[in-house]
Amino acid sequence: MRSSLDAPSVVERRPAGRRSGVRLKRSQREALAAYLFILPDALGLAIFVAVPMLFSLSLGFFSVNGFGGFRFVGLANYQRMLIDPLFRKSLWVTFVYVLILVPALYITGLGLAVLVNRRMPLIGVFRSMFFMPNVVSLVVVALTWQVMLVDKVGFVNRVFQLFGLPGYSWLGDPNITLYSILFVTVWFLMGYYMIIFMSGLQEIPREYYDAARIDGAGPWATFTRITLPLLRPTSFFVLLVSLVSAVAGSQAFDLIYVMTRGGPANSTSLVIFYIYQQAFQFNNYGYAAGMASFLVLILLVVTITLFAVTKGGRFHFT
Amino acid sequence: MKPPTESEVTSPVVPSVSATESPVSNPSLSGLTRRELLIGGGKVAMVAAVSSLFSPFNINVKAATPKSLSFWQFYSPGGGVATQDKWFQDMVKSWNSSHDIKVELLYVPNQDYMNGSKLQTAFASGQGPDIFVISPGDFLRYYNGGVLVELSQYMEDAAKKDFFDNVMETRIVDGKIYGLPMEVEPMAMYYSHKAFSEAKLSEADVPKTWDHLIEVSKKLTKKSQFGCLFETGPGYYQNFTWYPFLWQGGGDIVTPEGNKSAFNSPATVQALKFWQDAIKEGVAPRNELGFGGGDPVANLASGYCAMQNLGIWGVSLLRENAKGFEYGVFPCPTPPNGQPKSVLGGWSFVANAKGKDPETAAKFCVWALGSMSDDSIGRVVDWCIKAKSDISPRKSALEKATELGGYKDGPMKVLKDDVFPTGRGEPRVPPEVYKAVSDAIQACQLGGADPKQQAAEASQNIDAFLAGYSGAPLR
Repeated sequence: MRSSLDAPSVVERRPAGRRSGVRLKRSQREALAAYLFILPDALGLAIFVAVPMLFSLSLGFFSVNGFGGFRFVGLANYQRMLIDPLFRKSLWVTFVYVLILVPALYITGLGLAVLVNRRMPLIGVFRSMFFMPNVVSLVVVALTWQVMLVDKVGFVNRVFQLFGLPGYSWLGDPNITLYSILFVTVWFLMGYYMIIFMSGLQEIPREYYDAARIDGAGPWATFTRITLPLLRPTSFFVLLVSLVSAVAGSQAFDLIYVMTRGGPANSTSLVIFYIYQQAFQFNNYGYAAGMASFLVLILLVVTITLFAVTKGGRFHFT
Repeated sequence: MKPPTESEVTSPVVPSVSATESPVSNPSLSGLTRRELLIGGGKVAMVAAVSSLFSPFNINVKAATPKSLSFWQFYSPGGGVATQDKWFQDMVKSWNSSHDIKVELLYVPNQDYMNGSKLQTAFASGQGPDIFVISPGDFLRYYNGGVLVELSQYMEDAAKKDFFDNVMETRIVDGKIYGLPMEVEPMAMYYSHKAFSEAKLSEADVPKTWDHLIEVSKKLTKKSQFGCLFETGPGYYQNFTWYPFLWQGGGDIVTPEGNKSAFNSPATVQALKFWQDAIKEGVAPRNELGFGGGDPVANLASGYCAMQNLGIWGVSLLRENAKGFEYGVFPCPTPPNGQPKSVLGGWSFVANAKGKDPETAAKFCVWALGSMSDDSIGRVVDWCIKAKSDISPRKSALEKATELGGYKDGPMKVLKDDVFPTGRGEPRVPPEVYKAVSDAIQACQLGGADPKQQAAEASQNIDAFLAGYSGAPLR
């Protein structure tokens, strides 16, 4: 079948005066077609992502009050970051958050995938249940958990009381609240990563497991010698995506905005939330842009390191 | 001549193609090669990209004569109290029926309006509303940003004098008025009659001092009920509710000149410690139900707490949403040797100096709330005793509202006669100062930090900020 670009007859029908001076080879025409198909997306990314990023980067060198006032301040915003205790605190909170969230999502996602990746009655129901939180708005999730975790009368504390355990202030104690947010984040996201791991598991040929069973391998040996190694590409994807979204606070922002507003006592003030506060509550757009650039730098370093360690995410099994 | 409609002006001219004509036969398209189409399309895309790049922050296109002005506020159609939205609708309808330039209401959800980014992003892109409402806590952000129109230039002298001084002090710079309040909202303590009677307490046990409040709260605290509730969420609202306790001991955020911190004082330390003690003693919760400490229906009426630190708006919320719930109101208790104090909150109409028509926007604010006409005074009365439950910011409106029985008994009488006279306007401070105070409150109340150390740290931060501050004076 000939594509429209592969139709010399159309060109031949043109008047001689309008014929193009350059005749493209077939491979060049195909490349051109490919670029044309990519163009809308590339333009969209350039206009809505790349240009705003460059704009944000440049804002970091200005003092911007959000009412039209610009003043060039050089590196002042970056110097301020070095001495701002709230920024340092938010970096630490983000570090703890990422350190716990990424492994927790990996373990729960993989664990659930292994559990539900089998043929048994009602397995579809269980899979749906685990994935269900993902189809609910994060704001609804946050509001629901906020009520469930409230002091004394919240569902969780009521359950604790049933077992004679003391109640806790899950969202009001600075020593606990970040972990409560982490718990809700994992609860929300584990179904999503379960699906990704399931797709990885289903690509592993059954023959490997059959052969292992014949050789006398137990479940643990099968998991560690076959499943985990063959899931390396999926694991890389999960780690990369969860790491980037954890550092950028993609889900955490909504939860924190609704459940704690960065409190109590700044204990859940992730960098992304502090950037938001500086920009939209304090009208320090320049400083916020500076911090955002710093966050992008961290993300770049993390991503490049991951790619370097895994040789660009390419895995060879032979 | 009939003026062109908006669609006639803005619609691009498109050559029409009749049903019988094939689009291919259109001469304007048939002669176009793919290359020309791509080049032309690319040019259009470039123009769009460049114009979109430079439009934020820079270009603020103003129509020569606007047909309408936008008015942003957070009273939703059919929201919590229907009469409040109706008051806004009626006001706009009345203006629109007698003016060429119309006003259009735009509802912004409360959470997004107060803590969100809607207003800020609108102003940052030069698309801020023509008229909007702000609280004193946010006044300096907008005043220092140069977006508030002076309203007093359109007001009669009698009208200027008709507003209470303690209400207006945080809306005035250099003797000029920049915001016209629609309400005054003093803070007090609410208590549940049911909780008191279950604990065998009577009206005589209503706390007068801080120690007494903790003592009574202990008696009211049960397995599923806290004795008292103070706001726990960080934000402007928490600072607002804490100020009376700071002022009762003679403390303040800044010196009267507004150029140095006054925060590191014994009064600050004792106020921070009081809220901390309420948590430590287990009589106050670390978080709240509903929309927070300003929500009496979810907290007080539900039985989550027996006493709640709350503003006057609680009266209308309970009236509408917790019918039959019996409660009382008393002034905030005081520390040893302290003075009764309350904070007077409330929202103001302001006009955007960078809007489509700042003069008309300002005239609307004055027409609505700040003229000596019966309509204007009556509108304030309606808002304060019918649509909502507030103290009037105007002397004439307060008199009229009192005559109409708006404050004749119950909580409204206590709030007007006992609490309002002890009130001081909500301070106007820049966001950096608010944050320093907020961090000190949060660290002590919920983090168990040393109040002395926190007061000193916050004071240092305030001084460091004020050293480079050049905006309007803090009050």
